[in-house]
Amino acid sequence: MLPMLRPRGRTMMLDAPAPALVQVRDLKMYFPIHTGVLRRHTGDVKAVDGVSFDIMAGETLGLVGESGCGKSTVGRALIRLYEPTAGSVRIAGDDILSLAPEALRRKRPEMQMVFQDPQASLNPRMTLAQIIGEPLIEHSGLNPTDRLARIYELMDQTGLNRRFANRYPHEFSGGQRQRIGIARALALNPKFIVCDEPIAALDVSIQAQVVNLLEDLQDRLGLTYLFISHDLSMVRHIADRVAVMYLGRIAELSPRDALYARPLHPYAEALLSAVPEPDPDREGSRQRIILQGDVPSPANPPTGCAFCTRCPKVMEICTTTRPILAEVEPGRQVACHLYPSEARSNQPNSRHAAPSGSTGGGSSQHQQHGV
Amino acid sequence: MLTYALRRLLLAIPTLLLISLVIFLLVDLAPGSPMSEIPLTVPPEVRLKMIAAMGADQPVFVRYVLWLRQFFWVEPMHQVDLLFGSHIVEGQQRIISYQTRGPVFTVIGERIPQTLTVIGTAYLVGVLIAVPIGIYSAYRQYSWFDQLGTFIAMLGYSVPTFFTGVLMIVIFAIKLHWFPSIYNTSLKVTDWASLLAQIRQMALPVLVLSLFNAAEISRYTRSSMLENLGQDYVRTARAKGMGEGTVVLKHVLRNSLIPVVTVIALGIPGIFGGAIITENVFKVNGIGAALIGAIHANDLPMVQTLTFIFAVLIVVFNLIADILYGVLDPRIRYD
Amino acid sequence: MKLKATLLGAAAILAMAGAAFAERGSDGHVNVLYWQAPSILNPYLSGGTKDLESSSLILEPLAGFDEKGALFPRLATEIPTVENGGLAKDLTSITWKLKPDLKWSDGTPVTSADVKFSYDYCKAPDGGCAQASKYEGIKSVETPDATTVVVTFDAPKPNPYLAFVGATSPIIQKAQFEKCLGAAAPTCTEANNGPIGTGPFKVVSFKTNDTVELEANPNYRDPAKPAFATMTLKGGGDAEAAARAVMETGEFDYAWNTQVNPELQTQMTAGGKGHFVNGFGTLVERIEMNLTDPSSDLPEGERSTVKHPHPILSDINVRKALSMAIDRQALVDVGYGTAGQPTCNLVPAPEAYASDNTGCLKQDMAGAKKLLDDAGWKPGADGIREKDGKKLHILFQTSVNPVRQDFQSLIKSWWTDLGVDVELKSVDASVFFGGDAGSPDTFQKFYADVEMYANNFDGTDPEAYLAGYKCDKIPSPATQWQGENINRFCNADYDKLAAEMSATADIAKRGELAKKMNDMLTKDSMTIVPLVDRGRLSATSNTLGGVVLNVWDSELWNAQDWTRTK
Ligand SMILES: Nc1ncnc2c1ncn2[C@@H]1O[C@H](COP(=O)(O)OP(=O)(O)OP(=O)(O)O)[C@@H](O)[C@H]1O
Ligand code: SF4
Ligand SMILES: [Mg+2]
Repeated sequence: MLPMLRPRGRTMMLDAPAPALVQVRDLKMYFPIHTGVLRRHTGDVKAVDGVSFDIMAGETLGLVGESGCGKSTVGRALIRLYEPTAGSVRIAGDDILSLAPEALRRKRPEMQMVFQDPQASLNPRMTLAQIIGEPLIEHSGLNPTDRLARIYELMDQTGLNRRFANRYPHEFSGGQRQRIGIARALALNPKFIVCDEPIAALDVSIQAQVVNLLEDLQDRLGLTYLFISHDLSMVRHIADRVAVMYLGRIAELSPRDALYARPLHPYAEALLSAVPEPDPDREGSRQRIILQGDVPSPANPPTGCAFCTRCPKVMEICTTTRPILAEVEPGRQVACHLYPSEARSNQPNSRHAAPSGSTGGGSSQHQQHGV
Repeated sequence: MLTYALRRLLLAIPTLLLISLVIFLLVDLAPGSPMSEIPLTVPPEVRLKMIAAMGADQPVFVRYVLWLRQFFWVEPMHQVDLLFGSHIVEGQQRIISYQTRGPVFTVIGERIPQTLTVIGTAYLVGVLIAVPIGIYSAYRQYSWFDQLGTFIAMLGYSVPTFFTGVLMIVIFAIKLHWFPSIYNTSLKVTDWASLLAQIRQMALPVLVLSLFNAAEISRYTRSSMLENLGQDYVRTARAKGMGEGTVVLKHVLRNSLIPVVTVIALGIPGIFGGAIITENVFKVNGIGAALIGAIHANDLPMVQTLTFIFAVLIVVFNLIADILYGVLDPRIRYD
Repeated sequence: MKLKATLLGAAAILAMAGAAFAERGSDGHVNVLYWQAPSILNPYLSGGTKDLESSSLILEPLAGFDEKGALFPRLATEIPTVENGGLAKDLTSITWKLKPDLKWSDGTPVTSADVKFSYDYCKAPDGGCAQASKYEGIKSVETPDATTVVVTFDAPKPNPYLAFVGATSPIIQKAQFEKCLGAAAPTCTEANNGPIGTGPFKVVSFKTNDTVELEANPNYRDPAKPAFATMTLKGGGDAEAAARAVMETGEFDYAWNTQVNPELQTQMTAGGKGHFVNGFGTLVERIEMNLTDPSSDLPEGERSTVKHPHPILSDINVRKALSMAIDRQALVDVGYGTAGQPTCNLVPAPEAYASDNTGCLKQDMAGAKKLLDDAGWKPGADGIREKDGKKLHILFQTSVNPVRQDFQSLIKSWWTDLGVDVELKSVDASVFFGGDAGSPDTFQKFYADVEMYANNFDGTDPEAYLAGYKCDKIPSPATQWQGENINRFCNADYDKLAAEMSATADIAKRGELAKKMNDMLTKDSMTIVPLVDRGRLSATSNTLGGVVLNVWDSELWNAQDWTRTK
């Protein structure tokens, strides 16, 4: 399917007990709804409704889900491009959501984002050099010569011809523009990058180049990615672990291979059934699960399990009690009543969706950051 | 860019000629006669002679061609003669107003200063207050400030200036005596006292007009800002760790101003057109008042010349707006 | 007793001394507002009142009219009469003597050559002189010496005080206008906008239709005058705003023609800053009856011509009844207040020429109805009177003007009561008075049954005005619809009287003739139905002294006598 993708030559040190670089606890992002002439607050779009996960240093966490399930919102809230409604986010030790504006600004170099639409994310009135150079002026204190050298270095790293330094974004192709987006994100040596569908707007042939570039950079610079995509094949290629989102919540968070081999959550199962199998034998026996009905509105999610309106395996408890995300197998977290777990109590709508640690452990440490 | 501008200008020439003919015919066909303001005590034979002396008894096409010649040859060459002391069009008749029996351009020359000071200031003030209001309204969309701004803009836009103008006069000139109700065009600013007098007499018309102008431009700025504030590149700028000031004023504002600047440029011919109503209400006696007076008096040469100049200005400023757009927005190229 | 007399005498001397020692320019600045601003300061190139009156501050005639309409010398030493030998016994020539040592504002002497030049200027072909009628019937203007001007007429001239008399016919400086004769007149913008004159003020700057800045003429013949050093004559806006600027804000000292409705007049007077001054001249708002048939069924070129008499208005009883049904006092109250008075005369003033006709002042609806009944105009089934199959249907037109529209609807209600079907029409003033032969809506073409407007005559002598109703002044296609006899009135006796008047010099006799002619047009035939004698209403500040409203000449006729009183 993706012939130009290079095989991943990298091995994660999954057994090294390092603290997670990114720790997200019960993150909520509600967009208020105002109606009427007086614009009264009448409800909320619960775009992200209690999401918790960790990302280890050097790891790539894939975030998949249907359009509108809240992936981008998670990405943006995470690095506080939105002001989240509740929850906590720690990146490299700092509580991002409670930082004062100035501190946050100084923290920004460490966490960056590559946007879905490379055209829209670049200021049309700035040249490439200005776009990449602006954060350098703001944060690096480099003198103009060094700054230019750094800009060239970044352009080289991302495969942009140096001659293009004074061109405007509209003068580039889509792939080149995404490279600019990446170069810009890299400018300040971030530790963590949210890649929000960085390849969705690109031509298939170029998608591979960009993904390869991201991987290269990760290897060379030791980057940590939150890789948002609804392209399940691409996620399978790039991610170490994958979180499946549905209607603002995480349905399942599992290591990549385990997930793709045997999805546990009924939604993950349905979603993955649509992915073509690289193995022709298995592809033959693949059963597509077609879900009935529409995704409910995030402004008015069902009580109990978010998926209960469409789940083929729905049970009575599902409509009343919200299943919390809990470890059901080593390293695999699922929010579904089908999988009993010691952590899943009978409290309805538990707000303590404390995940067990990722494969590497460290879960006890996380507990204290829960809400 | 230059060739583009030249090509546009060349293309504008036939359009403008057609416009001039249409205006001429319209004004000529409009009912009324330049004699309507002359008292009935002047006997009919004398009236006929006066009309003949004005040349108003000639057939319409003769007058049109004469006007074309005067406008495009005699008047420009007259300026040349004045500048260089040459005698190219000496003794040739310039465009003569029926009302004043003097050259139309003399009147325009007298009227331009007050129009530019009052209407121009009002426009400038309007722009200067509108842009920040628009920015802040968009930045704090739906805040009380924004709501208030929307309300005032709606007022400024929908309440006619003849109403606000007269209201201002009644309150501030007649009741409170803070400002004069009649503009003194011969006031010369020579010292602090006369400067103060000038400011006082400009205050009311400028207030009324700038409210009107600001209403429009602040709305434009606001919506343009809103459109840009939601763009990804703004998020990029924030993600870069730029301060809020830089994000809003550098990234968002610069992009938002592109359409606003063109709207502002397109409004400039309106300054020269004067604000007919406001000028009349405050007796500013600028170009707008001259035009309305000329229409009342059926002063065809004056009406024709003024409206044609407005047409030219509109064409020119449309071109300027387009070129500005190209200069400001790197995505647009005229080649 | 003696002491008291002495004291009084001393007081009188002091008061006089105050006046006598008043210095030129001692009263500073005066602001005058003409809401219709002057376009040009050369009265020969414009007939507009605003232009004439503004230029009267600068340019002067040999003689002017005072507030009573009496002649008084301005540049002349005295008014030439038969008695003092200035006027030839046979009325064929008049000799004017200039005051000695007169100077133009530029310091050069005023001579008889300037007077003659003023005549030549207006007479020059292709100049389109607006005041040409003032110089009609003149055979020659001669200048035997530097201060003497002899005007010789083609024929005996019973009213020889037209040329060089009044603001409409001032003396202009030869040196300044020499190159501006005839077709060259409009090229002299500088002169037209800044004439050099002999009047109390001279032009400092002129902005067309906007502002004239003036200063005291340093060479004015009375060294103590004018009291004001400078004057601003500003234009723009409307009558109401002008009145406010004097009466309420006090920004201006004098505002011309502040015709506002009676209610506002009272309200503004309460402001206490100024007062209205009024004066009654010869301006009469009237209804003119069309004696010819304006029917659109007639072929073009025959409508409203003497070929077809009017089907209903030819009946004098109808005309009389229409007049009787009108309550003129009510019209005054609604439209003019103190600035109007009901009248039954076409020539309401001056006294010598005004008829004592007051018969129409009281509304007589019953009489009017009876008159029509007796004449055979009986109400039909629809209440409209008819006779011989002709219905009393009237198309009533006038110009667009709020007061006129009020009048129209009032009159319509009275006439409807009378049993007349009235259709109203209003035409934009610039069309109605525009005199465009191509337009069907001019008042001269009169494509209506009755029409209402106001007219007056220049100066104090109605001869030419009344002569306008001679048979040969009827507008028709042959005359490009020009002519003053709007009603198409034609009466041999009237023409005879007009001829007699043009040959009569005796004032008493002229007055008699004028009254007779006035009555023929009004009460005898009701061809013209006078409604309101419209006065001038101007506003003056309480701190401005010396204002005397003059309706016979320029309103600014005595600006040299204006002073600051507080
Ligand atoms: N600024 C906002 N105001 C209100 N609602 C919003 C806003 N941004 C997103 N939403 C809503 O939140 C929900 C999640 O949006 P989000 O953009 O996070 O989805 P997504 O998973 O990224 O979808 P896609 O795959 O299409 O990018 C959607 O229902 C969306 O309508
Ligand atoms: S909790 Fe119930 S509804 Fe939800 S996914 Fe599991 S089985 Fe289906
Ligand atoms: Mg998205």
